[in-house]
Amino acid sequence: MYFQDRYLSNEQILMRDTCRQYVDEVVAPWIREDRSREWSMDPEARLAPHILEKADEIGLRYLGVPEEFGGIPLDADTLSQTFAVISTELARGDSGLADKLVQNWKISVLLGALAPLHLQKKWFAAYMADPQFLMAHCLTEPRGASDRWLPYNVPEASMETKAVLEGDEWVINGRKQFISNGYDAKLYIVYANTDSTQGTMQGTSSFLVPRETPGLTVTRCNETIGGRFMNNGEIVFENVRLPADHLLAHNDALGKAGIYFQPGKIMVAAKNLGIGIAAYEDTVRFVHERVQGGRVLIKHQAVASRIADMATRLEAVSALLRHAATAVDEGSPDAAILATMVKVFASDEILKVCQNAMELHGGYGAMVEVGIEKYFRDAAVCLHSDGTTDVSNFKIVKSMFPATAGTYAGPE
Amino acid sequence: MKIAVCVKQVPDSWVEKKMDGQVLDRLGVDAVLNDLDEYALEEALRIVEANSTTGAAGPESGHEITLLCMGPERATEALRKGLAMGADNAILISDPALAGSDALSTSLVLAQVIANGGFDLVMCGTESTDARMSVIPAMLAERLGWAQLTHVHKVDIDLAGSMAQGARSTEIGVENISAHFPIVISVPDKINVPRYPSFKGIMGSKKKPLVIKALGEIGIESDSVGAAASWSTVREVTPRPPKSKGIKVVDAGDGGNQLVAFLVEQRVI
Repeated sequence: MYFQDRYLSNEQILMRDTCRQYVDEVVAPWIREDRSREWSMDPEARLAPHILEKADEIGLRYLGVPEEFGGIPLDADTLSQTFAVISTELARGDSGLADKLVQNWKISVLLGALAPLHLQKKWFAAYMADPQFLMAHCLTEPRGASDRWLPYNVPEASMETKAVLEGDEWVINGRKQFISNGYDAKLYIVYANTDSTQGTMQGTSSFLVPRETPGLTVTRCNETIGGRFMNNGEIVFENVRLPADHLLAHNDALGKAGIYFQPGKIMVAAKNLGIGIAAYEDTVRFVHERVQGGRVLIKHQAVASRIADMATRLEAVSALLRHAATAVDEGSPDAAILATMVKVFASDEILKVCQNAMELHGGYGAMVEVGIEKYFRDAAVCLHSDGTTDVSNFKIVKSMFPATAGTYAGPE
Repeated sequence: MKIAVCVKQVPDSWVEKKMDGQVLDRLGVDAVLNDLDEYALEEALRIVEANSTTGAAGPESGHEITLLCMGPERATEALRKGLAMGADNAILISDPALAGSDALSTSLVLAQVIANGGFDLVMCGTESTDARMSVIPAMLAERLGWAQLTHVHKVDIDLAGSMAQGARSTEIGVENISAHFPIVISVPDKINVPRYPSFKGIMGSKKKPLVIKALGEIGIESDSVGAAASWSTVREVTPRPPKSKGIKVVDAGDGGNQLVAFLVEQRVI
């Protein structure tokens, strides 16, 4: 889809074009070549190594890494907007791949802000040297995540994963699930309760946990409906002992991770938009080629109407995304609300775009080998990722009406 | 080695061209670095990489690639892309008096900067995708009194001998041509596959020198260029006729023969 370049800086246009070329020349042809790869039950065999190696070559993996460790600093005052542009383009190729890289960028930013210098040096060196190096951010637990502890800042809603200081070591016990990159990450940031008398905002700490740490077990790769080139995992921590310097934020980890949450929602919405653009582009091509009743599909009014509907939804998502990303970059008071709004709005609208894409393709829309159904599946994942629609809506209302909706109803 | 790469900012060639009177509407559409100039820059980068002790272009290579452009200030966008791909610095000649310049004026301006730049090589794309005159490289060589290796799909540099050798495809075969520095070289799109700018290159390009010079600064009188000084004028512009409906071949047993007859008629076979 051709969006006008207005609002984009020259650098953002160049970055978008580089991503687009990477997707068109490296990612998309590889995905089209064999659509069964996504369904391999060997998670490590799904994404070919050359996809991340090429991402490495153009510097896509280094975003967010501090410059002194060889990273590529982006302009801080347009950071979320730039990440949105890049995430959209990558998800145009594959949303799972975009997710893999988005996690790396977000954690790189977090590590650069929170980790002690000697650990930054060690882990950024390891990260830069290995194109397949992935990182994961472990928040969600079996009992819940956004639906449980984010709306209510009370001790009852705290994380069940706990960390206790024993001598000069932290000991972590607990379980994390639905973790992006969780299955194959080499480095984890783990959130755990460190003060059970406080609410989640004041009693949660974060830790740097290398995969090889004794007691850390990756128990499974979650097989999902979409975004399948990102291996979502489940991790168990049994007496995982960490040196004291691996503590990243003490008790206010969720506050410190604020630099992660809002851009994170922007990137989910941006990825979602990328899926929609890809579905739209394939559909536009199809309706210009497929002939029914002696005319190409686009000349049938019912079809044309759906195409207009798809394009309008994409423009609307794109506009709100730009608005929300700008608010995040400006540190505006409404940034959190807007970031949540666009995450929810995008997930509804793009699913509808993908539904239109499937229906306009008729039977081909349901065929795995055609690839349209993949967009629908990938878009479906966005409904819940980074917060379900309902809890996100509740958070929007809670932020707008703190005196009524924002008060805690009490434990069940 | 000092290499100048001549580049131009042109309307995106994938977008429908619109006319503003007798000239191309450049304001209403996205502008990009002329595709064919990317091949010239890529070849310059490869020449430097092959002759650099570090194996890479850049300040440590001992060589220098300068982008040279004439155009409105907006052309800095195209130059930034070239810098992001790996050129070291850029010069943009921009002056209101240049509006409406034809190829003769353009070559006059570019040659003036090249003559004073101490360059060994000038690399050009074979043409720009907007005007498609394909005359600038030859005009530059003529004005400078340099050798020209135009339309070469292969370039070999002999640095010690200060020479370049090139191969040019013609209707009857391949010409191998060579010349001593300084040389103007133009390359077609089959010479290489241009790299796309890396993120590092894109962010680094902001720090690379890009100077904008007016005509007075390069020693050219404003009445010797621009629309008034042009030798050529566009009298009329005609849009390309719409696609004809084509020929429908109904296969009643002789479809193959009909197809072959069509191809013969079109001189394809």
